[in-house]
Amino acid sequence: MLTQALLIALLAGLAGIDLYVGLTHFHRPVVLGGLVGLIMGDFTTGLITGGTLELIWMGMVPLAGAQPPNVVIGGIIGTAFAIITRQDPKTAVGIAIPFAIAVQGLITLLFTLFSPMMQKVDAFAKAGNYKGIEKINYFGATNYFLVSAIVAFLPIYFGSGAASHIVSAVPQWVLSGLSVAGGIMPAIGFAILLKIMLKKEYIMFFIVGFVLVAYLNMTTLAIALIGLAIALYDYHVNKNKTENYKNIANGDEMADGI
Amino acid sequence: MASNVPYTFENQTEAAGLSRHELNILAFRSLMLQASFNYERMQAAGWLYSIIPALRKIHKNKHDFNRSLQDHSEFFNTHPFLVTFIIGVVLAMEEKKMSRDAIRAIKIALMGPLGGIGDALFFLTLLPITAGIGASLAVQGNIAGPIVFLLAFNVVHFGAVFGLIHVGYGTGVKAVTKLKASMKYISRGASIVGLTVVGGLIAAFVNFKITYVWSMGKTNIKVQEGILDKIMPAMIPLAYTLLMYWLLKKGWSPIWLIVTTVVIGLLGALSGVM
Repeated sequence: MLTQALLIALLAGLAGIDLYVGLTHFHRPVVLGGLVGLIMGDFTTGLITGGTLELIWMGMVPLAGAQPPNVVIGGIIGTAFAIITRQDPKTAVGIAIPFAIAVQGLITLLFTLFSPMMQKVDAFAKAGNYKGIEKINYFGATNYFLVSAIVAFLPIYFGSGAASHIVSAVPQWVLSGLSVAGGIMPAIGFAILLKIMLKKEYIMFFIVGFVLVAYLNMTTLAIALIGLAIALYDYHVNKNKTENYKNIANGDEMADGI
Repeated sequence: MASNVPYTFENQTEAAGLSRHELNILAFRSLMLQASFNYERMQAAGWLYSIIPALRKIHKNKHDFNRSLQDHSEFFNTHPFLVTFIIGVVLAMEEKKMSRDAIRAIKIALMGPLGGIGDALFFLTLLPITAGIGASLAVQGNIAGPIVFLLAFNVVHFGAVFGLIHVGYGTGVKAVTKLKASMKYISRGASIVGLTVVGGLIAAFVNFKITYVWSMGKTNIKVQEGILDKIMPAMIPLAYTLLMYWLLKKGWSPIWLIVTTVVIGLLGALSGVM
């Protein structure tokens, strides 16, 4: 178990860095799921759990410095526990959420505690010490690694046995309740997206996308292509309108001038 | 702050241009943009990290170099995939020894809009689409899921990071007006695609079903299939998402929405309704 916990910690640490530095997005559950599966010895379950968790975390991306429940820990702990306890992925989300929220809190704390470091950056800048500034950045990236690695290590190493014990003692309705909640939870991610994106003038496109899937069961790529087609049409119509408007406006000016 | 005192470069000679290779190194370093993220100045030190090699090349005069380091440690925050465009523009200006004020103004004028556009383009459009496609393969146990996601996402990601530094540098100051003109169209188009996709994703992936069966004498009516789906498929997922949206706008934090959802799930399972 120690080897597995250390490998999970390493994976979590690297993914914790990627969440802010590099941003290849291998830190998303859809990728981490399979990797955790490889470490825990059940690739397929890991892959499927990762896919399920991905949908739940879909809207939870760090925008403008606001921290959602940590996707790295959510993906890794969720998948690992789904494999250890042989639970449905949607139930595993319920187990992962407290850890994901804990890391979210730690990252917020880290961003606050790192503020005083800027005084050091100022001093280095004044002295022309660019190497010092580089070191501060390496130090910051190291912190991301440590926070994620430690929080991922603890429940896997100390809690896995206890966790499967707890799960077998929990009444069935709690498990199926967590599973139901896990199925609903993508709604929160989508609501966060809507809060940022939805303006009155765009509601129609939202309706189109919904209807195409609800009634016609189209795939995501098909919806994206239809959205693109609408966007291109909209672009050309608007462009022509602006040009026509400009022409008319120019014409008026000339008429006034004469 | 020292920046209140106007500063002109001691060495006013234009520096030699940056090579493609040097620009690519800066683009690579920009991956560290958020390494030292903090609430006080956000990406400032990461921004500084990205451009250090270019500043060293441009400002051989020690005072000019130190001064430039200080200016670029001011507050900075933009989208990490589009930052290289700003790097390109700003370094073109540093190289031409334009005034400190002009450089700062351009930096600030670009970082806000590009931050918003980047979020709309990458985190609200590219990510949901590629991750949605990847996840729908992964839930079927198909290994192509994560691979397709990583490839599709990063082709665009690194294409933007390594492409835009050359675009930004090449067009220099001229790029600012050029971008401002098309900014409106880019963000409108991205919003249209993004919202169409989100509308579809809600119907596809929010799994909220009533399992309750209504018994009246000998007739059993399945509430979900018999009534709700007849009115409109995916009606409850849509309604619940809009409720979450409304609560978010009311100022609820996502964490409370998660807690509420878990409670609803538990109550639903306990009562046998869901």
